[in-house]
Amino acid sequence: MRILIAEDDAETVRFVERGLSELGHHVSVLGDGGDALRLALIENFDLLILDRMLPGMDGLSILRRLRAADVATPVLLLTAMGRIENRVEGLDAGADDYLVKPFAFSELAARINALGRRPPPQEIVTRLASDGIEMNLLSRQVRRNGKVISLQPREFQLLEELLRNAGKFVTRTMLLQRVWDFHFDPQTKIVETHISRLRTKLNEGGLPDAIETLRGVGYRMRAE
Amino acid sequence: MRVIVRSAAYRLAFAISLVFALATLLLGAAILYAAHAALARQMDDSIELASNVLITEYHDEGLRGLAEAIGQRGGRPDALGYALFDAAGRRVGGTLNTGMPAPGWRNISFLDPVEGPDPARALVTRLAGGYRLVIAADLEPLEQIDRTILTLFGAAFAILLLIGLVGALVSGAYLRRRLARIEATADGIVAGDLSRRASIGPRNDEFDRVAASLNVMLDRIANLIANLRQVTSDLAHDLRTPLARLRNKLETLQEPLEPVNRRAVIDEALDQADEVLQLFDAILRISELDEGSLRRRFAPVDLCKLVRDLGETHAPLAEDVGKTLHVKAEGTCFVEGDRELIAQAMINLIENALRHSPAGTGIVLGTRKAPGKAIAFVHDTGPGIPDVEHERVLERFVRLEEARSSPGHGLGLSLVRATADVHGAPISMSNIDGFEVALHFSAMEGLSA
Repeated sequence: MRILIAEDDAETVRFVERGLSELGHHVSVLGDGGDALRLALIENFDLLILDRMLPGMDGLSILRRLRAADVATPVLLLTAMGRIENRVEGLDAGADDYLVKPFAFSELAARINALGRRPPPQEIVTRLASDGIEMNLLSRQVRRNGKVISLQPREFQLLEELLRNAGKFVTRTMLLQRVWDFHFDPQTKIVETHISRLRTKLNEGGLPDAIETLRGVGYRMRAE
Repeated sequence: MRVIVRSAAYRLAFAISLVFALATLLLGAAILYAAHAALARQMDDSIELASNVLITEYHDEGLRGLAEAIGQRGGRPDALGYALFDAAGRRVGGTLNTGMPAPGWRNISFLDPVEGPDPARALVTRLAGGYRLVIAADLEPLEQIDRTILTLFGAAFAILLLIGLVGALVSGAYLRRRLARIEATADGIVAGDLSRRASIGPRNDEFDRVAASLNVMLDRIANLIANLRQVTSDLAHDLRTPLARLRNKLETLQEPLEPVNRRAVIDEALDQADEVLQLFDAILRISELDEGSLRRRFAPVDLCKLVRDLGETHAPLAEDVGKTLHVKAEGTCFVEGDRELIAQAMINLIENALRHSPAGTGIVLGTRKAPGKAIAFVHDTGPGIPDVEHERVLERFVRLEEARSSPGHGLGLSLVRATADVHGAPISMSNIDGFEVALHFSAMEGLSA
């Protein structure tokens, strides 16, 4: 992916740039908001990572101008503080996702993956499937190798989120936000517990584990 | 002198006494004017009366009769002087030693046999044949009275000014002394002695009341400072443990290790780092709540539905630790607030019930309604918290002795309290059939079913 990072903090730039290059992305870095806006307007990027606080022009203003100019490139906003107000402002301005600094690189990588391959909005998905697991979003039925598995509503939502991102890691924070609509860390084991229940139900009958866990990063559904 | 000029108390006292003295002076001037006018009129009246009598005499008896009457009156002690002049200006009757004045009311000068030239008030009447009758009153008594009044009020002014001055000095010194006590207390505190308090007299006057208010304020500040110190040292203490462990893990990683063990040590190190981050998250969240700016974003929240969701989400967690979690939240009950903050607060209460109760404990998460209120509660059949500790457990970093060994940073209930405060929802705790913590939200009018 071609990624533009507008960030002026040298430390953040260093570890993000190195990590993303390692993952095979082409990364451009600019420290000035005005420069970043100009480049984003003339060049095609697959993803923009904008820091909220930038010299020249802040991330929110860049985002608003881009959206006003009909640039639909996915934007990941970096905010210094996890203030709820900041988050709401960012999403209102047209950000596709946001991340609170300081963040773990794995969290950023997972979100970039999710943003990069997001299906176009007009596409309506009614069926998800991966590695022998099928999910019908209309009848809300789940099967593994043809056998029906009965899930609680939360477990269904969890599985849906994992299936939508099959083959990619989904972090605990992403699951909290998307399944529970919690934009904070409740500091309890709700994700772990529900994943564990879901896993037990999916793997019933000694089937191989469908959900891969990477400690400190998140969970991944095996892709076909 | 500098002290006096720069003192508001002195200036005020001086100004008041000066105003009083000036008022006295004004009063004196008014009295002087009024008395003078009244006496002058009285003098004119008596001259006019005498003139009328003598003119009547003149009309009845002629010039001779008039001269006789003047002669008789000259001996009377009515303090009036008489003179009759012929057409040539010669005095032909009376003893008033003066030149012939023009007719009408005149201020004249006459020669007093004892005192010499003296001013007088005179009525000069023209008679037939060029004769003129002069009747005059000595102005000396009037001047005497003017002088007396002036002297009297002048003295009164001086005395008042003196009394005012002394009064101003005394009251100014008193005010300064009272204020100086408060000032000394403030100086003491500035110098670092936070235990200083302003002394309060027995009279409960305005100074005492100001001192009392100041003392209350100082107590509150001292409390906050003590609290801050406590929080700082608790925080440092709570941070030391995970940081020390993290350091140990990193040290271990310097040794050559099997890849599997290496992975395990890294995981443990990450856990310790996460613990530190969680602690800071909780602190930031509380301070964001304390600011109160979140209230602007409040929206209707269905508390009943939220509680049901939380119950559904947490029932498996309870099961995993051998406890049960039931939900009792029927219908809808709207409150104005922030869904996530309320969720976090309720999660903390659930977490506490799970953490500080023995296995087999039954936990009930629910809502109930009271007039104008929507109450969310967490009840458990565990040992609860002694009544005397209810207020204390809501403070930051407080962990009761029994909970020392279990994980946690003692901020959970502080966050519940901060959330409750920002929502204007009182917290209640009761040890009835176990232990219950409840948040009493104001129900939104018209939205609660």
